[in-house]
Amino acid sequence: MGVAVLIKQVPDTTSKVSVAGDRVDESSVSKWSISPYDEYALECAMRLKESGYSEVVAITCGPQRSSKALTEAAAVGADSLIHVHVEDSLDSIQVQTLLSAAIKRTGSEIVLCGKQAADTNSGSTGPGIASILDYSCVGVVSEVSVDDGVLVATRQGPSGLEEIEVSAPCLFTFDKGESELRRPNVRGIMMAKKKTVEALTPGDLGVDLGESAVIVNSHSSPPDKPPGQKFEGVSSIATVVQKLRDEANVI
Amino acid sequence: MMRNMAYEALDFYDIDSMLSEEERMVRDMVRDWVEDRVIPNIEEACRDGVFPDDWRKEIGEMGILGAPLKGYGCPGLSYIAYGLICQELERGDSGVRSFASVQGSLAMYPIHDFGSEEQKEYYLPKMASGEWVGCFGLTEPDYGSNPGDMITRAEDKGDHFLLNGAKMWITNGTIADLAVVWAKLDGEIKGFIVEKGDEGFSAPEMKGKHSLKASVTSELVFQDCKIPKNRILPDVKGLRGPFSCLNNARYGISWGAVGAAQSCFNSAKEYSLSRIQFGHPIASFQLIQNKLSWMLREITKGQLLAYHMGKKKDDGTWIPEQISLAKMNNVDMALEIARMSRDIHGANGILDEYPVMRHMANLESVKTYEGTHDIHNLILGRHITGIQSFTREP
Ligand SMILES: Cc1cc2nc3c(=O)[nH]c(=O)nc-3n(C[C@H](O)[C@H](O)[C@H](O)COP(=O)(O)OP(=O)(O)OC[C@H]3O[C@@H](n4cnc5c(N)ncnc54)[C@H](O)[C@@H]3O)c2cc1C
Repeated sequence: MGVAVLIKQVPDTTSKVSVAGDRVDESSVSKWSISPYDEYALECAMRLKESGYSEVVAITCGPQRSSKALTEAAAVGADSLIHVHVEDSLDSIQVQTLLSAAIKRTGSEIVLCGKQAADTNSGSTGPGIASILDYSCVGVVSEVSVDDGVLVATRQGPSGLEEIEVSAPCLFTFDKGESELRRPNVRGIMMAKKKTVEALTPGDLGVDLGESAVIVNSHSSPPDKPPGQKFEGVSSIATVVQKLRDEANVI
Repeated sequence: MMRNMAYEALDFYDIDSMLSEEERMVRDMVRDWVEDRVIPNIEEACRDGVFPDDWRKEIGEMGILGAPLKGYGCPGLSYIAYGLICQELERGDSGVRSFASVQGSLAMYPIHDFGSEEQKEYYLPKMASGEWVGCFGLTEPDYGSNPGDMITRAEDKGDHFLLNGAKMWITNGTIADLAVVWAKLDGEIKGFIVEKGDEGFSAPEMKGKHSLKASVTSELVFQDCKIPKNRILPDVKGLRGPFSCLNNARYGISWGAVGAAQSCFNSAKEYSLSRIQFGHPIASFQLIQNKLSWMLREITKGQLLAYHMGKKKDDGTWIPEQISLAKMNNVDMALEIARMSRDIHGANGILDEYPVMRHMANLESVKTYEGTHDIHNLILGRHITGIQSFTREP
């Protein structure tokens, strides 16, 4: 059985994001990367494969540029690649519907993804898909392994690490784990070139997106951080203590 | 992983758009590695005067050693990709690029092009993976720019060769598992493979460098050093052997220098935008802007030179003199940019908090090795006039 890993291409966390007019200006983003939590999911998928779990299919939904994220996944070992190609921005349910249809097409009963994307941070994709596909869902895990055919997920519980046993079909959303995504190597990059990206439209998947239920009015930059304040001398101690208590809430 | 700010490499003429996806991916892989592993640790490596062994392993794992070589476990990338690898490594530190240049162009390349089938199969896979480190012994204490008069000799003793002599300034020497050594056999220069542990061979490290501190530099000493007969490189004789290795390494340096210059430019740009003097960011003063625009101009020209040279290497339509020009020009511009960037940083420019002083000191070595700046001028002078001026002898 194959493992499906869902990856989203987002502005790299170190890139500056700017707003032009009332929309995020995508052309100002200097670097696009696989969303960091998805990287943990991808690494886990590669480990599952190494422990004998047949092949890994990487799936993304997004505009043309996001196909690069699939090639990057291929460079670290993803076997097949599916790009659900949409240029418009979609709402969460539309994305979940498309990805669910793509997963169904692959027949994968183990699905891994990040707990939230680094750009929208909405955290709805994983649970939404699990609900559409009627899969179990284990959220915010740091690791998934297989033990005698049983899936074991590790997650941070209120009083320590929890281990959860679950059977397929199941979807896991990933938090930061111990294992960072492996670095690609030249051999992987050369192999990635040979793997074809299967590009699918919503129509190919038999999905009618309909109207988006969400209308974004505008984007704006967060307000500038207020400048740092400087205090000198013994006489300022009282003010500093008061500010630390009332404004910074640290004491 | 979280970093402070994305590194935006200067690419004013959009060289990026001319690269293949594979070339871009290789570049990004090396860039990320340098960002994660070299930049946070380079100052410590320099202070300790070591090339961290982890770097050897990780560079090997990335599979970039001997980048343009094909077969025998070598990557088989384009010369453009090889150039990009050098650029990214040297943006971190010239010492790291030196490690890779010596391994790939100076040690693997001669085995690949001039070695026997047996030698290629035995050495190249281990060198491509970084398991074995190689070095290149040409320079001697008394023969630098003029290696043709080298003293190191090999004698055919029937069932083995006997090597005598000494090499100096040998990058990777002490950490190397094998050395490609150029020595005279019956008056003619030939290449030999000497392995660590061979009888009569030692490689003491040279200490006290103010430049390339994170690169190992050594002497190679041969005292009746006995090596088996199958360690001679069968397919080359004369200076053509070492010089063809140098052509490849020099080509890589022309890209590497761009990387060091990009690093110095970035640091100068950021610093000048944040440093306030006379009530304004120093970047708002015309003299500073003039310096920054000069840097931009020179780096852009250097990039185009390196890129075009790479295309010619990939097409096989190059002549060595073109590589001389690229190496000489780009190292020269990088060194000037490092100095100018140091100046823009004021006193801060001498601190190890910024990369500029380290690049500046490194580039002094890069200016000298692989043919000094002026030796390349003489190569070009000979090309233009048809008259060699290296020596007064006819
Ligand atoms: C850090 C470092 C690493 C190195 N790694 C290696 C290595 O791995 N393997 C290796 O074999 N070598 C290596 N070298 C040696 C390097 O290649 C030599 O230093 C270089 O070739 C110059 O030789 P030299 O130092 O003897 O200088 P010299 O040849 O003595 O030159 C001194 C000066 O005289 C000038 N000069 C010389 N001849 C002429 C002439 N005919 N006309 C006009 N000017 C002239 C030169 O341009 C230079 O300015 C390394 C050097 C350094 C610094």
